[in-house]
Amino acid sequence: MVTENVKKILLVDDDIDLLEQNKLLLESKGFEVITAENSEDGLKVFQKEKPDAAIIDLIMEQMDSGFVLCYKIKKTEHGKKIPVFMLTSATYETGFKFSSSSKEEKEWIKCDGIINKPVVIEDLLAKLENFNYQH
Amino acid sequence: MNNFKGNILIVDDEKGLRLGTKRLLEEEGYNVTAAENGTEGLQFGTITDFDVAVIDLKMPDIDGLEVLKEIKSIHPNTVCFIATAFASYETAIQATRIGAFGYIPKPFSPEELIYQVEQGLKQRKLILDAHRLELEREKNLLELANEKSRLNAIIKSISEGIIIINTNGDLAYYNYAAIKLLNINNIQIGEKILDKLPVHVTDIVNKIFQSDKIMLKSYTTEFSLHADNELFLEAACTPIPNPDGSLAGVVIILSNITGYKRIEIIKNQFVSMVAHELKTPLAAVQGFLNIIMDQSIKLSPEKQHDYIQRSTIRLKSLTDLVNDLLDISRFEMKTKEREIFEVHLEEIICSTIQMLELELNKKGITVEKNIEINLPFIKADINEITRMVTNLLSNAIKYNKDKGKIFIDISSSKNYVELKVRDTGIGLKPDEKQKLFSEFYRAKNDMTRGISGTGLGLSIVKRIVDSYFGLIEVESEYGVGTTFLIKLPINPN
Repeated sequence: MVTENVKKILLVDDDIDLLEQNKLLLESKGFEVITAENSEDGLKVFQKEKPDAAIIDLIMEQMDSGFVLCYKIKKTEHGKKIPVFMLTSATYETGFKFSSSSKEEKEWIKCDGIINKPVVIEDLLAKLENFNYQH
Repeated sequence: MNNFKGNILIVDDEKGLRLGTKRLLEEEGYNVTAAENGTEGLQFGTITDFDVAVIDLKMPDIDGLEVLKEIKSIHPNTVCFIATAFASYETAIQATRIGAFGYIPKPFSPEELIYQVEQGLKQRKLILDAHRLELEREKNLLELANEKSRLNAIIKSISEGIIIINTNGDLAYYNYAAIKLLNINNIQIGEKILDKLPVHVTDIVNKIFQSDKIMLKSYTTEFSLHADNELFLEAACTPIPNPDGSLAGVVIILSNITGYKRIEIIKNQFVSMVAHELKTPLAAVQGFLNIIMDQSIKLSPEKQHDYIQRSTIRLKSLTDLVNDLLDISRFEMKTKEREIFEVHLEEIICSTIQMLELELNKKGITVEKNIEINLPFIKADINEITRMVTNLLSNAIKYNKDKGKIFIDISSSKNYVELKVRDTGIGLKPDEKQKLFSEFYRAKNDMTRGISGTGLGLSIVKRIVDSYFGLIEVESEYGVGTTFLIKLPINPN
């Protein structure tokens, strides 16, 4: 099952176990998955492949690298059109005071949603389905 | 003699009158001294502080007024009467001006004399009482002034800021710390102050002003005055009631809590990092298990085995992490008593190498030791030093190249034992070197891929070295190798 708008997904994660798992999960649902293991490569692959969605690990190498990559993607013309999700195991309750619940936070993080590890594929699919392309 | 009533001085040159008066007053219970002329009267009257003196005005040697003047100048509280047959209005005025209490016209009856002396004694008592009260009052005032200046000195010197506002919003009191903490200048007692205070404080003060009932408790707020959060303050606002229960004003105590805030931020960062580091391997294991159990994903038996093996590796690293965290926690809380004995660094190095033999052999790494002969013992806890050496050596193995080398040098100076561990590994980039000792930092680049670790090893090493007042330095060249240099005091105390 591939959603109407999303066929190709970019996965960026420096944890190769999680990268492989999520790739497998998404492929099992019929998506084409391209991967990168750091934010630098992530941006290159994004620009070359123009994926229909991106899922980026929040904490890679440096604490804010996921944020930075997301920010850079969202600044591109193509990035503005597609859903970009941040992947994290450090959720709100662990002290990271971010979520996409309020407008300000959304504005600051520039991403379209937060996905917790490990990925529950049904939730991810729902998020992709519900993404609002009106902007 | 009856009960002692008072000391009386009689000065009169007329013998009969002098002795008669003396006897009369003694019978009344007075203690009487009699002087037969002005010179004697002056002598007695200036030596003793009499309660009452009766001085004859006209005497052959010294005038009564002179005697009166002298006695009054030495004993101002002696009540003096002038007795004279030549009573005139002028002398009476003059005598009073010099200090006489009264004026006894001669000749006088015994009743008249006794009455006057009694009046004089009453006056004397009043004077002495007044004098005593005056002294007491002065003493009390002095204490009050001391108390006040002491309080003032305390309030001025404490680091907490104090501001007192009355119900009109006028500044009633402030100390130096308050204007320093709030960074406000030119404030005056009596001026409207609320607008000059931070809005957090003003809000609370207004709330206290507006509430119907005075609650005798403090309302606190925390705020930062600078946008860059350089200074965190806590303000505790407490209503002050009047004796009738109405509100007199509000006292505001300001404390600088920047230090606590900084610790809180560090703590929160640490907690979130720990949470992240703990949850990531759990997520990886969970993810593998989910995939293995997922009926819709077809996995080859080899792949399944691979995933189970990788899960095991992640769980092993999770266990290591928990152990390292417990170590750090023990270290921070100092729950474990240190057992300080003489420790020989060479022995620890040798036993650690033995323990790590499997890992050394796996990568084909050789160790070269160069250890000073007659190396002194150091006073330390053997478990901590072993931990330090193990972490250093296992890093030297992990981040080494296959078939690489580890050089261990130990030497000593007067006060220190110096341990140098050099590897021929992948080295560090300059920016990686700086972060090396911080918690959860792990150099991540193409060459470190596949090397597992908790990111706490060197942080633990540094904690141990610091706790012995030692020194740790790192030198490294990317792609060539890294050298750790540790200096430990032979006797840290």
